[in-house]
Amino acid sequence: MTGRAARRTGPLIFLLAAVLLLAGCGNGQNALAPASHQSRDIADLFWWMMGGAWIGLAIVVALLFWSWKRRNRRGLGSDRAGEKPGERASWYVVVAAGIAMPIVVVATLFVISDIFVIQTTQAPASAATKLTVQVIGHQWWWEIRYPGTRAVTANEIHIPARTPVRVEVRGADVIHSFWVPELNRKIDAIPGRTNSIVLDADEAGRYRGQCAEFCGLQHAHMGFYVFADPPARFRSWLAHEATPAAPPSSALERTGQRLFMGGACSSCHTIRGTNAQGYVGPDLTHVADRTTLAALTLSNRRSDLAGWIGNAQHYKPGNQMPDLNLTASERQALVAYLEGLR
Amino acid sequence: MAVVVPPRPAGAEYVERLERQWASRPGVLGWLTTTDHKRIGLLYFWTTLAFFGAGGVEALIMRTQLSTPNEHIVSPGTYDELFSMHGITMIFFFIIPMTTGAFGNYLIPLMIGARDMAFPRMNALSYWIFLASGLFIYTSLFMGMAPNAGWFDYVPLASRQFDPGRNIDFYCLGIIFNSIASTLTAGQFIVTIFKSRAPGMSLNRMPLFCFAFLAASLGLLFALPVLSANTIFLFLDRNIGTHFFDPARGGSPLLWQHLFWIFGHPEVYILIVPAFGIATSIIPAFTQRRLTAFPLVAIAELLVVFIGFGVWAHHMFATGMPTISMVFFAAATAMVVIPSTIQVFAWCMSMVTGSARFRTPLLFIAGFIFMFVTGGLTGIMFLAIPFDQQVTDTYFIIAHFHYIIFGAAVFPIFGGMYFWFPKVTGRMYFERPGQISFWIIFVGTNLLFFPMHIVGLLGMTRRVYTYPGGLGWTAFNFAETVGGFITLVGILLLFGNLVVSYFRAPRADQDPWHGPTLEWTTTSPPPEYNFAVVPTVTSPYPNWDDADRERDRAKLARGVLVLDEGHEQPAVTPVDGRFAEIVEMPNESPWPVVLAISLALVFTMLLIEKYVIAGLMGILCLITLLAWSWKEPQE
Amino acid sequence: MSADPARVPVPRTTGAESPAEVVAAVRRRAGPPAAWWGMVVLIASEATLFGAFIGTYYYLRFETPVWPPLGIPEPKVVVPLILIGCLALTAPPMLLAYRAAAAGRLRAARGYLVLALVVQAGYFAFEVHDFRDQLHTYGITRNAYSSIYYTLLGADHAHVLLGILFTAWLLAKLAGGLTTYRVNAAQAIAWYWVAVILLTFAVIGTLLSARV
Repeated sequence: MTGRAARRTGPLIFLLAAVLLLAGCGNGQNALAPASHQSRDIADLFWWMMGGAWIGLAIVVALLFWSWKRRNRRGLGSDRAGEKPGERASWYVVVAAGIAMPIVVVATLFVISDIFVIQTTQAPASAATKLTVQVIGHQWWWEIRYPGTRAVTANEIHIPARTPVRVEVRGADVIHSFWVPELNRKIDAIPGRTNSIVLDADEAGRYRGQCAEFCGLQHAHMGFYVFADPPARFRSWLAHEATPAAPPSSALERTGQRLFMGGACSSCHTIRGTNAQGYVGPDLTHVADRTTLAALTLSNRRSDLAGWIGNAQHYKPGNQMPDLNLTASERQALVAYLEGLR
Repeated sequence: MAVVVPPRPAGAEYVERLERQWASRPGVLGWLTTTDHKRIGLLYFWTTLAFFGAGGVEALIMRTQLSTPNEHIVSPGTYDELFSMHGITMIFFFIIPMTTGAFGNYLIPLMIGARDMAFPRMNALSYWIFLASGLFIYTSLFMGMAPNAGWFDYVPLASRQFDPGRNIDFYCLGIIFNSIASTLTAGQFIVTIFKSRAPGMSLNRMPLFCFAFLAASLGLLFALPVLSANTIFLFLDRNIGTHFFDPARGGSPLLWQHLFWIFGHPEVYILIVPAFGIATSIIPAFTQRRLTAFPLVAIAELLVVFIGFGVWAHHMFATGMPTISMVFFAAATAMVVIPSTIQVFAWCMSMVTGSARFRTPLLFIAGFIFMFVTGGLTGIMFLAIPFDQQVTDTYFIIAHFHYIIFGAAVFPIFGGMYFWFPKVTGRMYFERPGQISFWIIFVGTNLLFFPMHIVGLLGMTRRVYTYPGGLGWTAFNFAETVGGFITLVGILLLFGNLVVSYFRAPRADQDPWHGPTLEWTTTSPPPEYNFAVVPTVTSPYPNWDDADRERDRAKLARGVLVLDEGHEQPAVTPVDGRFAEIVEMPNESPWPVVLAISLALVFTMLLIEKYVIAGLMGILCLITLLAWSWKEPQE
Repeated sequence: MSADPARVPVPRTTGAESPAEVVAAVRRRAGPPAAWWGMVVLIASEATLFGAFIGTYYYLRFETPVWPPLGIPEPKVVVPLILIGCLALTAPPMLLAYRAAAAGRLRAARGYLVLALVVQAGYFAFEVHDFRDQLHTYGITRNAYSSIYYTLLGADHAHVLLGILFTAWLLAKLAGGLTTYRVNAAQAIAWYWVAVILLTFAVIGTLLSARV
């Protein structure tokens, strides 16, 4: 296989792989599987740009190939003084392909993306949205608040589907970045500043997001879910989320509650309706309703919960929750209590 | 039987005098006190290669960790140090010093027909400061407190509150220390290029290589102080308690980002423009044709750095800037595309209309063009602000800048190593292993970096020490790791080839390629004084001007413009290159090493918070400067 | 030996041995020496550093509604302007010192330098005193304003100190006679002072803009 041909097939194979894998990829965090008007605009922009890029690359590769075809035509020392073969044609190519064509391409791209598409992806005007959600990035979890209600949760956002929702984002400690690619582009969560973005899911579903600005040791484990619910289901979820914690219903759960309030837990976590008031870690009022723990690091199954509360440093080394030296029965009681917090 | 004495070559007695005047001091002491730009270039070469190795090891450890989900080869803290040191090492301790310190130092005086740089002792100082700053920062790695907030250390993460150890102090001080070396080098190149050219070499007769290095030097000169100011602010915030970046007291975290990228974006052009210069030297040699559209290319090289100062906030599109600001920076980013496309097509058309010889150096340049265009095309995508906001801080960006940096800086460096290997060592290299090393590296880097575009679009963010399975990222990551190791094999073959060639390959004569510029008119390797006579120059391709080279031979025979009354070289007027004066160059000097050591002591004392002693060490520096300046060059 | 002088009427400037030779060599050469260009490059770098500091000042100012923040007095006008006026007056003697050295008038050159040095040192002493006084009123760690205020001003004073060291060094060198190297140095240092004075105007102007 000749040099130039090898150079062309390599990337083509990747393109094929890319198309195959992207076409139906359901990882929930795929910028090219858009689930909103905004993400769709961005994805369409990408496909056009990628097409243009392949054409541009093909032109250059063709020129390199042509130079290879015309190799070794003359010997050493054939640079007869001042003579530059094909200089005039070369100037035409340089000016046409190197100046005129790029000007046209970038100007077009600039106008389409930075005058038109940008209007859909920028921060929403206040009147345009029906609901506001506040997201505060912490090291290494997301605090979610619903202004106008008492609902506070963590690492999972519920929004009504097919409704423009304003998300106000800020950082509590360092800079984080709120990114749920299937719904919109990313926006930084900066201390001292509030940024906003619109989420408007086309249909109900679960969308995955992740912190996209390096924020320290556990930046890799700072994911979140956005659940777009049918509007009625959302309303009932929100109403429930705003209620205080359910009281413990068994002796084991009561033991667990006692351990929670008496131990280190209540100084870092809030459970509304109890004496536990802490802001270092997430609000646990309805923790049993969540699908994951520790910002998508673990599932919320009993075994994972048990592992987490005893040995958080094992799963997310460096995070703010210390290892607690719990006996087996203490752990059992706490798990029972937390599982009751629906 | 009569002994036949071969006739002495014409001008031999003048050459002998030059050899005596310029003989370098022997042994290790000679190297420690050298002011010869060629020796300094070689010192830079080996030192930067060591840092390249370190940066490469850091990368391969990370790639191994990321080859499959949830690996635990290194802890999160170590991983953070690895990616931070990888970026810092590759940018500040490999690419910049390799292109400017090694290639620039060795070749610029040769290409402009000079005997040395304008300020030889300051040149040595640059090297020793560079070495000291590299050792300073690497000490942090061995002590387990390497910088760990990335190569761009956003605040508040890098503030004392969130990064309490000495890691970021190593960063601030190490960067400032290193930037002294780069600033001195930049200033050196600017003055040398303007004042030390051979008489008759007006600016439009200067090789494009020198235009590229002039552009990069101007970039360094105006970009580095902004970084220094920024790191000074961070150091003060961390150690004195100031509030530049603290929003609670009127400061702003975004101030750091603005200042960083005002430096950082020109920096990336500074990384690749010298490599453009290497490409514009290799292409004419291996096409036996003067480069197409010389004036356009020369202006483009300067313009790309100049416009590059106006685009910085495109690194901050996700921060919530007002739309109008972002649109301005996107427009500027659009403009910076043009000088690059001019150069790409000039290179391609030179290769098409010339008679290309695809030896190893030109293969690397062809590979460079391919990689640079790929990276450049994704770069163009970023001027679409919504798209940028979707993929910034993901692996898509990592793909983009590695195609640019590895493709547009490292490939020409490798090509340049092969190209000038005969000149520097006096030996040819083995061609076949050279070509094979190119192909292995080319395949490896594409396998390593191309899938990153895909995983980035699939949602993989950057600077993550691990990732979960089930997101479709695993196969691509694994492929990237394989690509990384393939690249390693290619690089080992490349260097193995050069080492073996050094000992075994046939000797090279002074001009194995029929190259265009002045370094090919002198011996391989060049003598200490570079040229026996001040060369006659009437075009940017002097080695192809046979009449001028004939004139030089005649000058040598008659002893004209040999300048052997001392350690001499001419100085010219900046633009026209008219003869201005003849200046004496300094010989070996111990003061650059001593000053670098004193400066290292200052920074070390600042690091361990012994501020008074740091001040005393500063006074030691001043005393060293006094001793340095006491001996004037003619003494 | 190397048949140059007749063909190439270009001075061997660094080889000049007597003051008369130095003067002749300096007069015959075309354009400023590399040392002067080196100083231009240094000044460009330092000016950019100050540009970053000044840019930071205005960036922080436009993020802060009250500037200077409550509790911090506005900067004084009269004394700083008088001081900087005095400093500006040392530019002519520095330039004249260079001219005198280039013309071989060593005694005049030394005289101008002594005059300049005395005023520069006096200025610096005043400024250090003032700086320390201000630090007693409000420290550098109070807020962003104080951080940038003292950093910017301190950087300026540091550059003045460097200039004083330059002037003193030059004086010491000229005590030993005249060489081309010393004439080049005099030229470079004179222009360093011009640059520092202009930078100081920019710095004082920036700090005083808080009153607007």
